[in-house]
Amino acid sequence: MNSSALREGTARVLFSAAAAVSVVAVVLICLFLFVNGVPAMAEIGVPEFLLGAIWRPANGLYGIFPMIVGSIYVTVGAVIVGVPAGLLCAIFLSRFAGARMAMLLAPGVELLAGIPSVVYGFFGLIIMVPIIRGLAPGHGPSLLVAALLLGIMILPTVITVARNALDAVPRRYYEGALALGADHERAVFCVVVPAAASGLLAAVVLAVGRAIGETMAVIMVAGNQPVIPGSLLDGVRTLTANIALEMGYAAGLHREALVATGVVLFVLILLITLFLNAARKRGGR
Amino acid sequence: MKKLTRALALCVVLALGACALTGCAPSPGSSGGASAGGASSDASAPSGPISVYAREDGSGTRGAFIELFGIEQKDASGQKVDLTIPSAAITNSTAVMMTSVASDPNAIGYLSLGSLDDTVRALSIDGAEPTAANVKSGVYQIARPFNIVMTEDASPAARDLAAFIMSAEGQAIVEENGYVSVAEGDSYVPSGMEGKVVVAGSSSVTPVMEKLAEAYRAANPGMTVEVQQSDSTTGVNMALEGTCDIGMASRDLKDEEKGAGAQATVIAQDGIAVIVSQESSIDDLSTEQVMEIYTGAITNWDDLI
Repeated sequence: MNSSALREGTARVLFSAAAAVSVVAVVLICLFLFVNGVPAMAEIGVPEFLLGAIWRPANGLYGIFPMIVGSIYVTVGAVIVGVPAGLLCAIFLSRFAGARMAMLLAPGVELLAGIPSVVYGFFGLIIMVPIIRGLAPGHGPSLLVAALLLGIMILPTVITVARNALDAVPRRYYEGALALGADHERAVFCVVVPAAASGLLAAVVLAVGRAIGETMAVIMVAGNQPVIPGSLLDGVRTLTANIALEMGYAAGLHREALVATGVVLFVLILLITLFLNAARKRGGR
Repeated sequence: MKKLTRALALCVVLALGACALTGCAPSPGSSGGASAGGASSDASAPSGPISVYAREDGSGTRGAFIELFGIEQKDASGQKVDLTIPSAAITNSTAVMMTSVASDPNAIGYLSLGSLDDTVRALSIDGAEPTAANVKSGVYQIARPFNIVMTEDASPAARDLAAFIMSAEGQAIVEENGYVSVAEGDSYVPSGMEGKVVVAGSSSVTPVMEKLAEAYRAANPGMTVEVQQSDSTTGVNMALEGTCDIGMASRDLKDEEKGAGAQATVIAQDGIAVIVSQESSIDDLSTEQVMEIYTGAITNWDDLI
């Protein structure tokens, strides 16, 4: 009796400790970000920090507006490239592909997810940048390459999540559509896909999170100029790139400004997660 | 089992595809040498907009480059401003710099002379070829010091390693790795000491420091040397805090660092090479032309001649 209560208690402590790790980590990271970042923001001045167009830490100019715009541009570009391809691929895998085809494609998608981002970056640098330069001389590392590369990188996320959502649609929806006279294509696109809409939205939002947080691959192909890009072929610097490029050297206010950049990124990602949860709830109703 | 074979087959297909792709690309370094002597026969004069490549803010290489070429200028209020053109693409390492410049005929970039290889071509500056010999003789003036940093209370083991670096053997290793030796020291006598030395700092100094540490360990089997790579500022701070025994810096010490008790010893000189693609026929630029390119006064190769 006593020993079983002891075992029970130990197990309880062990499991709650394990559960607490992730919560504690999140809380500590939040604390670190805000304690270090917010005073810097206050010192620089929130409008100057968020809307300033010039980033020149050596002279006390800390405007991250170009980086905010850069992150948004790159992410939108990646979504334009990756989401249609990913969703169509998921629909194909879920509803059209034969067993053989699916067996060939699914491991391919898994492999794509397993490639480290620095390898993607190297691929972009060696293959994609010269191709873009061949098409538009004088340019190379640019918003376009970053968006294309990130578009490829978010494919596995989009495909896996969207496929799961499509597979979860009850079989009777599809059969009901067929019974009403719809053919296979019509049943899939007009019944199954709308029924999975909230799951597909989740796939897109997760992909956005992945794209906005990507660092290494983007640094290698984006050019990293802290200037708002005027065209697709101009270089761009994202929030993540800004932190990673300069963290090693920064000291004092510069360092705190980089942490504050992290705060901005964190808030952006938080908003995306909130949006995801809201979308899921709506889907659940 | 079946799934495994399929996955393997897929891997083979992917690998074949990758081989086919690389087979099409021109092999780097197939023409020309590392030095700026003579353009290769298939080179053509670059024309069109200049693609300017720079390193990230705070990099020791960038700091030395902008200082040596006068790209860092004082503004009206006396503040030093880095005037590198904002549209310059920023690369975060020597490797990315070389790869980017190698594949772009309109590119210009810069890196440490010791890291130069024949995928890119180094330019003569004001007629002086960027070679270790020219840096040593002072003909090629675009050079910066590599420093090791210690404090007053450095351990005897750390001082012994420093003595080895400055000895004839240590300086020979410096030369072998493409850097410029600074001392004609006496031959090193192994101390037979036992212990551990931690060296940390600049990523530019790290490669040569690893070679030095290796030779030092061979001479003193009882010693362990740990080389940690970060950056100049971190290296100096760690030496001051006592987290490491010797800091490495690829720049001169700042006054506040000296004030805090950091003592620097120059162990080598490193040239900074201005590089272009092998396909470019540019051989020689003046200091002023480089400055104008990097500050944006010249943005087109056609305006150079």
